[in-house]
Amino acid sequence: MKTGKKTKIIFNLILSVLSLIWISPVFFVFLNVFKTKQEYNLGSLWLLPKGNNLMANLKALVTSRVLQSMSVTLLYALSGAVLAVIIAMFAAYGLTHLNIRHKFFWFIMIYCGTVFPFQVYLIPIFKAYQKLGLYNTRIGMILFYSAICIPYSMFVFRNFFLGIDKELCESARIEGASEFMILSRIFLPMSAAPVSIVFLSQFTWCWNDLMFGLTFTKSAQTRPIMASLSIMGGGNPPALFVACIASSLPTLILFFLLNDKFQKGFAYMSK
Amino acid sequence: MNNTASAPRLRLDNVPVADSHIHKKRWTVIRDYMYIAPAVILVAVFFISSILYTLMLSFNNWDGVNKMEFCRIDNYLALFGDSNFMISVGNTLIWVVSSLVISVLLPLLLAIMITKSSFAKLFTNFFYFPTAISATVSGVIMATLLSTYGIPYLLGQLGHPEMVKDWLAVPYVNTFVMILTGIWQGIGLNLVLYVAAFRNVDLSPIEAAMIDGVGPVKLYTKVVLPLIRPTIIVILLMSLVNSFKVFDGIWVMTKGGPYRSSETLALTMYEESFIYNRYGRGAAVAIVLTVVILIVSYFNLRNTFREE
Repeated sequence: MKTGKKTKIIFNLILSVLSLIWISPVFFVFLNVFKTKQEYNLGSLWLLPKGNNLMANLKALVTSRVLQSMSVTLLYALSGAVLAVIIAMFAAYGLTHLNIRHKFFWFIMIYCGTVFPFQVYLIPIFKAYQKLGLYNTRIGMILFYSAICIPYSMFVFRNFFLGIDKELCESARIEGASEFMILSRIFLPMSAAPVSIVFLSQFTWCWNDLMFGLTFTKSAQTRPIMASLSIMGGGNPPALFVACIASSLPTLILFFLLNDKFQKGFAYMSK
Repeated sequence: MNNTASAPRLRLDNVPVADSHIHKKRWTVIRDYMYIAPAVILVAVFFISSILYTLMLSFNNWDGVNKMEFCRIDNYLALFGDSNFMISVGNTLIWVVSSLVISVLLPLLLAIMITKSSFAKLFTNFFYFPTAISATVSGVIMATLLSTYGIPYLLGQLGHPEMVKDWLAVPYVNTFVMILTGIWQGIGLNLVLYVAAFRNVDLSPIEAAMIDGVGPVKLYTKVVLPLIRPTIIVILLMSLVNSFKVFDGIWVMTKGGPYRSSETLALTMYEESFIYNRYGRGAAVAIVLTVVILIVSYFNLRNTFREE
């Protein structure tokens, strides 16, 4: 589409102003991590920092258990996303290329996990976890995060596998390949884009989850990062901002690493 | 559903080694189901049983400790007589309407401008940045910036002393402040989807219209937007479903307060269950939310599975 020069300049101007507004809160966060608590409380939120207190704030971060919470969240999000990708991939392969009756019924049964509002799951899983001794445990959190990531992952893989020609499987089967070999040697290498988008979106979802982390844990050793952030309070804003930046880094890095694949993968996300 | 996948196995059926073969065939059937079993079992154990349990619980009184008491539909009746719940319903509707209008239209306008600008990628990344950090982190940041030392202080310095107050502590005003935060945080994904749709659009009808001398506004309303209609519908339905579920931002900014004035249904469910230990009522709120979301999702799913 051709655009007049004037329109282009106007659009550039409007977008520049808007994106500056959009990014300004982040800018002030970075401005304030260099300050001390006292300096901040004097009402200097919008002033340049007088000294450099970044190292002290970083030290506060190390002692404040935020890092501990981040590492346990890394465990949850990694194992949740990886397990979900594997289990969902098997299910999607079964639902598209294997001999299973009532495929659409099984598909809807798995998929309905994402349709219901997650509030429905809170009380029953909380109570069951308390009974089974899974409440406030790492294994309980990993199990839950894997389970909740399965429906959507299966949905994306199924969309992708539906597009793969059945002839391909047929000829591989005639050559004597087992189903597992077809899945792992033919389908998996073709699925780089959907695997990365599923992994990225599910890792990010687990990492950013607040509600379940808040409900299923009670001690600092098991509490995921967003729940920890939510109970930190605003007593020391510069330290809080440092914690905010630190806890955003993993998902930000992942996003920019996989950005290109992510753009391609959008096609399978929403069909 | 047809199964061309079974064709080569049928060919093997003709080989006359009956006994071992039947065995093999049965194993093949079981093996095929093994592929979906882990997913089906996990979903059934965690989610389907939970849905049924919550439904059952919504007809009972339970404090989580003592014995459950069956109370028919009392929980639901109590909810509709509870002013906190009605405020929560009202707030949820405000969230839904505003995110429906703003988070569908604003990214569309931005995407139109971005595709015509000189630095498309840079601008997209700027607007996506708050989406890349989570709703919780954005909520924490905005709550701090909105506290008396932040934006209100700045406005005071600029000569508006009446603006110096903690807006998040003012009932009803805080809901709108949080909606603005939600828009700031959440339009990134919709924006990226729109930009991708404009990139992939078929150019020939647009060029034909331009040769015919169609003006820019008419070009968009009559030609371009109808071309990306599927994307608009997906974004509309997705935003609608998500706006009913909003929790994280509100929880970190006001916790639903002051005096439970900024709760939405998702928060009311949490508060009733885990703060006030009225699990039956919490379950009833969850079921109300479920019914609403299922109705909305019906259109969403019908749109997604049109071909199947």
